[in-house]
Amino acid sequence: MNKGKIVSIHSFRGGTGKSNTTANLAAQAAMAGKRVGVVDTDIQSPGIHVLFGLDENKMGKTMNDFLHDKATIREIGLPIGDNTDTTEGRAKLKGKNLWLFPSSIRGREISQILKEGIDFNKLNEGLQTTITEFDLDYLFIDTHPGLNEETLLSIATSDILIIILRPDSQDLQGTSVTVDIARSLDVPNLLLMVNKALPKYDHAELKKDIEEQFSAPVAGILPLSFDMAENASSDLFSLRYPDHEWSKGLRSVAQAVLALG
Amino acid sequence: MHDITSQLKNTMIFRGLSDEALSALAQKASTRKLAKDAVLMRKGDPGDSLFLIHNGWVKIVTVDSKGDELVINKCGPGETIGEMALLDGSPRSATVIALEDSEVLELKQDVFQNVLDQRPDVSLAIIRGYSERLRFATTYIERAIDWSQKTAEGDYSFINQTQPLLNQAGSNDDKAAQMLSAFFAMVRKVKEREEGLKQQLEKLTFEIDQARRKKEFEEITGTEFYTQLKEQAKTLREKRKQS
Repeated sequence: MNKGKIVSIHSFRGGTGKSNTTANLAAQAAMAGKRVGVVDTDIQSPGIHVLFGLDENKMGKTMNDFLHDKATIREIGLPIGDNTDTTEGRAKLKGKNLWLFPSSIRGREISQILKEGIDFNKLNEGLQTTITEFDLDYLFIDTHPGLNEETLLSIATSDILIIILRPDSQDLQGTSVTVDIARSLDVPNLLLMVNKALPKYDHAELKKDIEEQFSAPVAGILPLSFDMAENASSDLFSLRYPDHEWSKGLRSVAQAVLALG
Repeated sequence: MHDITSQLKNTMIFRGLSDEALSALAQKASTRKLAKDAVLMRKGDPGDSLFLIHNGWVKIVTVDSKGDELVINKCGPGETIGEMALLDGSPRSATVIALEDSEVLELKQDVFQNVLDQRPDVSLAIIRGYSERLRFATTYIERAIDWSQKTAEGDYSFINQTQPLLNQAGSNDDKAAQMLSAFFAMVRKVKEREEGLKQQLEKLTFEIDQARRKKEFEEITGTEFYTQLKEQAKTLREKRKQS
């Protein structure tokens, strides 16, 4: 049986559009007929669940409860396809096989988790159970920015790592370390995605330079977009505005992920 | 007289007329001599005749918002002024002044209408001419709508695939053809400007501080947590490969 893939989405700093990218990638994979799960790592802050139109108050048990054997994975997964609202983009997900798994693995809690013996193997086991129970093709994990222990755990268990960066020297410097870590942890597939690229830059040149620098494919260069900023978290942008340049870029990243099997 | 007939034939409204009909019209026309700076017509005058410039040059002027004279156009031998006035009688939309001593041929509206009354064949030829021109202009408008949409989408391929049409007489003096020619010139300019902008794209140069990269990498990988994680990850990947 072909097991589902764990796809971690990471960026060195915040503000790269990581949550938006994760939600849209998961939505695109679901639209392509795949069975998809998304681990929302921070339900306290407005993130992925808002993009899917879910209210955090409705979320009871989290991945943490599951990892502590206090809940079954079936109790955690929220079916997005059965909970779509009438928002134009999100409505397209009706009936699709997409589940959200809320979790709250924050700085303080990770040390607690480690102390309590939730180690790498346990986390990995939990993710694999999630994949098996829901028969997932892809499980997307929206990691926290930076390279803390929690993020390292996510990277270590990933089949595919997508690093999102803005085209500036700070992000490029930070990304270089993440790339080295991903290689050190034998992540089989590494994809780069440039977000918020100014139109004045030559995107083809940028792609070539970054690929050369990191020896990894750039799956998409997505433009800085006022339309995107205005939409904020009100809808899934790539479903609502499929012809927008940002959406086209996002679909090319989604296709790169799907092409990896 | 033959000269006048052939000049009349080139004017828009008489294009479809036979030589015989044209010569009948030409005979009804009267000649007017204009001294330099003489006013042929003033803006607002009743439009009750057509002028064909026989020799000399005139300027068509209007007044701008400041009250200064603004030259819209200059016309010379063979060109006609106020041809639509023969049919609709609208007031003159501009003033016409001789730039030099000139001679013009005048065809009065009432004389022209007498000809139409007596000659149904001439009336029909004129109506046919109008119909043809209207069809021609409509075709251009339809195309212009299509081309405008393409231009808005950044698709300029039509300017290489299409040449502005000429009307059936092969002349390019129609306003519709002039408009299309201006439209094509505009699209070429827009395309050029856009290509120019593309070439001005900046190249983003970046340099990675390799010493810092190495140091930060070692800070992360140097911990006991990491060593253990790497070991576990390795085992996991081998297991995944086997399954």
